[in-house]
Amino acid sequence: MVVQSVNRPSKGFRRRDWLFPIVNALLLTLLMFITLYPVINTVAYSFNDGTDAVRGHIGLLPRKWSLKSYQSILSDANVFHAAYISVVKTIITTVLNLLVTGMLSFTLSRREYVLRKLITTLLVLTMYVNAGLIPNYLLISKTLNLRNTFWVYIIPTMFSCFNMIVIRTYIAGLPDALVESARIDGAGDFRVYWQIIFPLCKPVLATVALFVAVGSWNSWFDTHLYCGTEKDLYTLQYLLKMKLATTNQSANAAKSTAEALKSTTNTTPVTIRCAITVISAVPILVVYPFLQRYFVTGMALGSVKG
Amino acid sequence: MRKLLCLLLALTMLLAVAPAFGEELEPVTLTVFRGDPGDQPTDDNKIYKLIEEKFGVTFKFEYLAGDLDEKLGLMIAGEDYPDLFDGGNSADLIITAGALINLMDYINPEDTPRLWAHIEPQKARLIEKNAAGEDVLYIIPNYGLTYGDQIVNAVNGPAFFIQKQVLAWAGYPEIHTLNEYFDVIEAFLAENPENADGNPYTGFAILCEDWRHFCLINPVQHLMGRPNDGEVLIDVSTDEFHTETFIDKPYAKAYYEKLNDEYHKGLINQDTFVMNYDQYIAALSSGTVLGMFDQTWDFNTATYALQDAGMYENTYVALGLVYDPEYVDGREIEEHYVNGSLPNVRRGFGISTKCECPERIIAMWEEMLSDEWQIIFNWGIEDEDYYVENGRLLMTDQQYANLNDANWKLANKAEGFFQSSPKKQGWILDGEFAGNCWEPVNQPEIVLGLMNDYDKEFLGAYGYSKFADFVNPPIELAPYGEAWQIDYTPVEVAHTKFLQLQDSFLPQLITCDPAEFDALWDKFVSEITPYADEFGAYMQEAVLAEAAKVLGN
Amino acid sequence: MNAAASNNQMQAIKVKHKGFLRTLCSQWQMALMSVPVLLYVLLFNYFPLRGWIAAFEDYNPKLGFYGSNFVGLKNFKDLFGLGELPPEEFLLSIRNTLAMSVINLVFGTVSSILLAVLLNEVRKTLFKRTVQTVTYLPHFLSMVIVVGMAQNIFASGGPINDLLAQLGLIKEPVFWLGEGRYFWWLVGVINVWKEVGWNTIIYVSAMTSIDPCLYEAAAIDGAGRFGKIMHVTLPGIKSTFIILLIMNIGHLLEAGFEIQYLLGNVKVMDYSRTIDIYVLDYGISAQKYGLAIAAGMFKSVVAIFLLLSANFVARRLDENTLI
Repeated sequence: MVVQSVNRPSKGFRRRDWLFPIVNALLLTLLMFITLYPVINTVAYSFNDGTDAVRGHIGLLPRKWSLKSYQSILSDANVFHAAYISVVKTIITTVLNLLVTGMLSFTLSRREYVLRKLITTLLVLTMYVNAGLIPNYLLISKTLNLRNTFWVYIIPTMFSCFNMIVIRTYIAGLPDALVESARIDGAGDFRVYWQIIFPLCKPVLATVALFVAVGSWNSWFDTHLYCGTEKDLYTLQYLLKMKLATTNQSANAAKSTAEALKSTTNTTPVTIRCAITVISAVPILVVYPFLQRYFVTGMALGSVKG
Repeated sequence: MRKLLCLLLALTMLLAVAPAFGEELEPVTLTVFRGDPGDQPTDDNKIYKLIEEKFGVTFKFEYLAGDLDEKLGLMIAGEDYPDLFDGGNSADLIITAGALINLMDYINPEDTPRLWAHIEPQKARLIEKNAAGEDVLYIIPNYGLTYGDQIVNAVNGPAFFIQKQVLAWAGYPEIHTLNEYFDVIEAFLAENPENADGNPYTGFAILCEDWRHFCLINPVQHLMGRPNDGEVLIDVSTDEFHTETFIDKPYAKAYYEKLNDEYHKGLINQDTFVMNYDQYIAALSSGTVLGMFDQTWDFNTATYALQDAGMYENTYVALGLVYDPEYVDGREIEEHYVNGSLPNVRRGFGISTKCECPERIIAMWEEMLSDEWQIIFNWGIEDEDYYVENGRLLMTDQQYANLNDANWKLANKAEGFFQSSPKKQGWILDGEFAGNCWEPVNQPEIVLGLMNDYDKEFLGAYGYSKFADFVNPPIELAPYGEAWQIDYTPVEVAHTKFLQLQDSFLPQLITCDPAEFDALWDKFVSEITPYADEFGAYMQEAVLAEAAKVLGN
Repeated sequence: MNAAASNNQMQAIKVKHKGFLRTLCSQWQMALMSVPVLLYVLLFNYFPLRGWIAAFEDYNPKLGFYGSNFVGLKNFKDLFGLGELPPEEFLLSIRNTLAMSVINLVFGTVSSILLAVLLNEVRKTLFKRTVQTVTYLPHFLSMVIVVGMAQNIFASGGPINDLLAQLGLIKEPVFWLGEGRYFWWLVGVINVWKEVGWNTIIYVSAMTSIDPCLYEAAAIDGAGRFGKIMHVTLPGIKSTFIILLIMNIGHLLEAGFEIQYLLGNVKVMDYSRTIDIYVLDYGISAQKYGLAIAAGMFKSVVAIFLLLSANFVARRLDENTLI
């Protein structure tokens, strides 16, 4: 709303005022085609017969329709439990991340906070130091004994410095006066954060929620490292990753009389890979519009400032 | 933190030791790690149910989704070993780390007659001596301990492949040499530059992607008359087993010079060097690639796609080519593409040091080597999964189709366990079903039933009964096995560089101006020689050491 | 900025005056919100750094960090091509890594800011949301899929060559995938294709914090559309830009390996091999874990140096800083 009123055409009907929106719309439409093509192509492959698909050259529509790829994935009863685990894990991780990172970022945006420099430095460096896989594994698996527990999905991923930076930068852009005046009114830092900063941070928190949720939803490595023996803790991505690896392998298995064996399932890595992509992306696409509301439309900040 | 760690460690160890004193046949759950990907069986899988009823054993499977060496490294670092441990292609890692127990403590002719009889014929290859001079065996091979005559219905390994229509067009000629092969492709291409749809044919494709670059770098040893030894050529005529890298030798130059020639004649397209595997399979499946060097299993999906589209004349037949005498100082080379059957040494299940009931697993394997259990694992349940007619094990089309249905298998086969367990392959030699094959896929009736009419006619034109007739029968397996199995980790650096230089130079050699070929070849040889020498010298030692095990020096 | 800086100085003086501990006590609520996270990263990010000891060892997972053979600087010598590894490869991999990082950084940043600005100029909310949703979709395709498509598109007989031929720009098809000199740029283009929508999200969300009054003020001052972009929109996302830039400069040695590994082939090896691929080839596959850890340590040290330098420059220029 606000944006519309701002960009209201001025009285003199100058050339670029009508030219620009058209060029802009054309450019963006072109970009949409370029980015939509691989997506539609993937969907087309996923609905194509597997054996036929290895011949390639499928464009925007399947050449030989088939639901076999989806059937073969979804007929595994474990998929639904794994999806449930993934959903729960993603929700908990996202909420915890927002909770922890939001408050932390607020404190690190306050110049008067005495630990600001120390904590910021130590946190930022975590993005650049990597101990390697083995010591991390030993910490989580041995020291903390989280192997084969649900918490291994939650505890090690509660915080990411990148998200803190994103939120902090956003908070730093908010007027200082907001915090100052609240403090003068006697509000403690918790109240300042929750009552003033948090509501204003919705766009950036929505952004970070998206980052965290997508990261958590897409991760399979944690299951691979820590929960491989516990079927009940499998996540959807792990299961799908495994399905792809299995299909890849059986496509190339050294069979003793290869010419006599013909796959009857008609699934090949080419189509399974695409079906897996679609299956794992759909839930995110469903959630996206709800988050997008916050960071596309924006906030009418002016009114708060008043 | 250290204290906490110690405390936790002590606690876990205590917990681990506590239930070690169990009664025999008390239900037990074995954790299983498989060094390759796979799907979890269903909870009501009928074969696992049988195993549970008979042996009181259930399984918890972990398959591999990511990188094997990385996963094994973590398991070793944390000593998180499963009971049944299949280290896949990197079993050496877990053996070196001491993760597996010595099976020879449990296997002997008296207590485990079947297991003993199973490994005995190949014991020279399988059983090693440890530092103390004791017999050690960590892993019973999962495949390759075969019974009876070797079954070779088709070439499953490396070969030069050619589309059947090319041979049919040329009047079903016998093709045995490199020149004959390219001559027939050239002739076909000259008369048929395009297929019926107007797409141009490619004469010869060379897949170079990643580890599949064997299509580029391996052919020379076969042209010299040896089966697959990886990247070395071994002279098996003497006990010296002279081993050398072949790629830097003059006889290899002849092959790439020939390819250079074919490139300039237009048989080879430069796109072949940048193709990824999917594109390669797509090209093969479209029926426009007339020939290539590859291994049969590497392009199965393309074969299925061609069959599925009814393009039988575009499927491939494996030829065993050798150099024409002109390339090798007038020598006549005898062709050997198919090797004697080879036990899959150090592949399959070992029992880890963390397992509390190794004797029970051994006893179970012993029982499972009975005819009854082998047939259950291979063929399934009688009248459900197969039927018997006049002493022959047979399957209906549907029953056989099930074997290729991944989801059906999760409920009806015990692959997660059986694939890595000791098993019999080849022919059933005695008992009720003598004369049948252990595996349905080899059973003659089934093989014949699956062959399409085009192939029958094609073979008929040559007077052959199977596609393996295009090549010589298997050569006797050399004492050292197949050299590609040898672990070259100690010279990994030289080996990596050795391969890199081939990847980098060979495509250049194929596409360069013929006038510059000699100079480029010399440059290639001079750059690769130090690495080739180091790798070759190591392989010579290793081959002799392997051979000595079998020859008993 | 100046006001903020002087404010900062005053705060600093105040702190000195009041004493660190007393200030901290008065800030206990903020401490409660941040110190637990500090402890968390000490445990999860810093404690495992003990594993760096393996860089000086012939590390063997069986023997552990404290039991493996100590080999001094051997792994570092190997890494830098002064030991048993071929000497020229390290430098080659550094060159390729830096080239692709810089291209990715420039392409990625410019494209996402450009898209964010164009989106910001769209008045129809529905159109804006549609564009945004569609452009971020490729982020969810795996690299295997995207690179596979790119390989078809850039093939000798692929659509790009067809298009260029039809426009009369080329006579012979360009061998995009087989010429080393195109490789880095292709990586850059594919990364933009896959990630531009995703990378834009952060800028779009930053733009929401721009005070609408600023646009009105600019309009009153007679600024046209371009003027508003230059004087309101871009300054509005400047801090985000600077912060991300500093952060990414620290990551210059991280060009990844997946896309190079997938897009690379025998014809472009000299341009596709990054540090990560170099370490994978000679470290991981040869089971020289020590070498891999040494490479990790080297990258960390370089990253921190770059980061601090960039941060320092930003501070000198009175810009927002990361630390």
